[in-house]
Amino acid sequence: MKKSVVSKEYQKLQKDIIQLQEQWKTSLDPDCVRPNLDKAAMEAGVPVTALAAIDFDISLFLQWIEDIGGLLSKYQPEIETSMKSIKSLLDEETAKRWIDEAFAFNYIYFASFAEEHELDGWIPQFVAETVLRPYLQLTAAKVQGEIQSGVHGAGCPVCGEPVRLAQLEGEGKKVLHCPRCSAHWNDRRVACSHCGNNDHETVKILTIEGESAAQIQICEECKGYTKIIDTRQYIVKPTPAMLDLNTIHLDFVAQEHGYKSAGETKQTN
Amino acid sequence: MAEYIKYVDVTKCDGCRACMVACKNWNDLPAEPEEFQGSVQSHAKVTANTWNVLSFIEHEDSKGNLDYLFRHSSCFHCSEAACVKVCPEEAMHYTDFGTVDVNSDKCVGCGYCVQNCPFDVVQLATYKDKNGKEYKKAQKCTMCVDRLEEGMQPACVTTCHTDAMEFGTKEEMLKKAEKRLSEIKDKYPNAMIYNPEGVGGTHTVYVLAEKPSVYGLPEKPKVPTSAVVWKDYAQPIGKMMLGATSMALVGAFVSNKLFNKEGKGHEEDGGGSHE
Repeated sequence: MKKSVVSKEYQKLQKDIIQLQEQWKTSLDPDCVRPNLDKAAMEAGVPVTALAAIDFDISLFLQWIEDIGGLLSKYQPEIETSMKSIKSLLDEETAKRWIDEAFAFNYIYFASFAEEHELDGWIPQFVAETVLRPYLQLTAAKVQGEIQSGVHGAGCPVCGEPVRLAQLEGEGKKVLHCPRCSAHWNDRRVACSHCGNNDHETVKILTIEGESAAQIQICEECKGYTKIIDTRQYIVKPTPAMLDLNTIHLDFVAQEHGYKSAGETKQTN
Repeated sequence: MAEYIKYVDVTKCDGCRACMVACKNWNDLPAEPEEFQGSVQSHAKVTANTWNVLSFIEHEDSKGNLDYLFRHSSCFHCSEAACVKVCPEEAMHYTDFGTVDVNSDKCVGCGYCVQNCPFDVVQLATYKDKNGKEYKKAQKCTMCVDRLEEGMQPACVTTCHTDAMEFGTKEEMLKKAEKRLSEIKDKYPNAMIYNPEGVGGTHTVYVLAEKPSVYGLPEKPKVPTSAVVWKDYAQPIGKMMLGATSMALVGAFVSNKLFNKEGKGHEEDGGGSHE
């Protein structure tokens, strides 16, 4: 029943990255993240990190980039040159810019940065996103107790990442998990996690033969989809990031059927 | 890799049989219409196409009260498995998880595993090839090794709604069994953990409410001596002297001589008495 289309080697690399991020996260001073839990803003769907004060230590940030470079080079030695050139390019100003743009998931900025400095297109954003995540995860860990539910259509209440992964827990409760910051929050079992539509005629389930623990919930209203994984069937629960990666074939299936990871909000006048 | 075991707490089982259904469903096993057993139990015991049977036992406890005991029964996945020991083709083997699985491609249907399993779990299934020729293969619970490889628990465990079954590391599950035993001792004075040493411990460990024999289990199962003899002595010689095709015939002869669960035909002293 081999399901995942992701190679074992890439899975291993991602596990190593997640482990590294966990180490970085625990090495951070917990006070470097000061969330501002503004109830009104949260109810409007503003992610917590947008209003949080985060002290980035640029020297630490650069050290992490070196760490991740070392890890990537272990898997792909030819990356070493790119990582060296990134290190020479990142002065304090550029590092700050990277943080801001990674927060906003500004792929256009990173793509042009890569082009300008003759780097492989994926490297700058991948590296920036990887080193940003421990800060997002620390923020999520700090506010997790206050996060019960999210606002449909607003993505992750902590980091704003579009919703795409839910886990069935306990007696079948649907809990949305963010693969980016590891925050989790509850959602109704039959509701579309993007637009909140709970009409059983238009919220449907796609099942895949041979997949005993996974389904794709789709919404005909907003064309959004959510992967729902019954992690109660696992021996050891994978991290949301690994679960998201290992179920990437479900994203392909959903997207081939015309569904999107961010549902479209209908304009009403 | 950490060793994993299935923990079965029969005192939590309510006899719903969902584990049987989940097993049939996951492993694509055909239905087997059975004669009425005289009780709620559907099958007398596990078969080649029913790897998991819920046994229902009417038991009179020490106070003379009727107790209805349930037991999820399937392969024990012994650490020193007799079936692995006797298999001439190495079709029976240990997986990375410490459980016992059958490699159907290698199995020649000789049936030594069936004769030697102390729990009477392994059975032969009959298949027909496209020319109508019949052949046999050993079949039994695989502990859903295809699921384990994907990091998932066995199908029977995931479906158990009373949490009578759990799957986890050996250390954790044995600790759980000890704790549970101390909780139920007042209610069931004969309660025990069934993890027999004679087969090196098993990968399905039970918390039983009564003595093993009440559940139709051997009190002290062990790998039969004949099984040890076969693998270490008879088989290498047999393989050396004969082509693979004649193995089954000679094997049957040797096994009749050496193996017999009832103990008949097992010439132990070889001398006999001469009065």
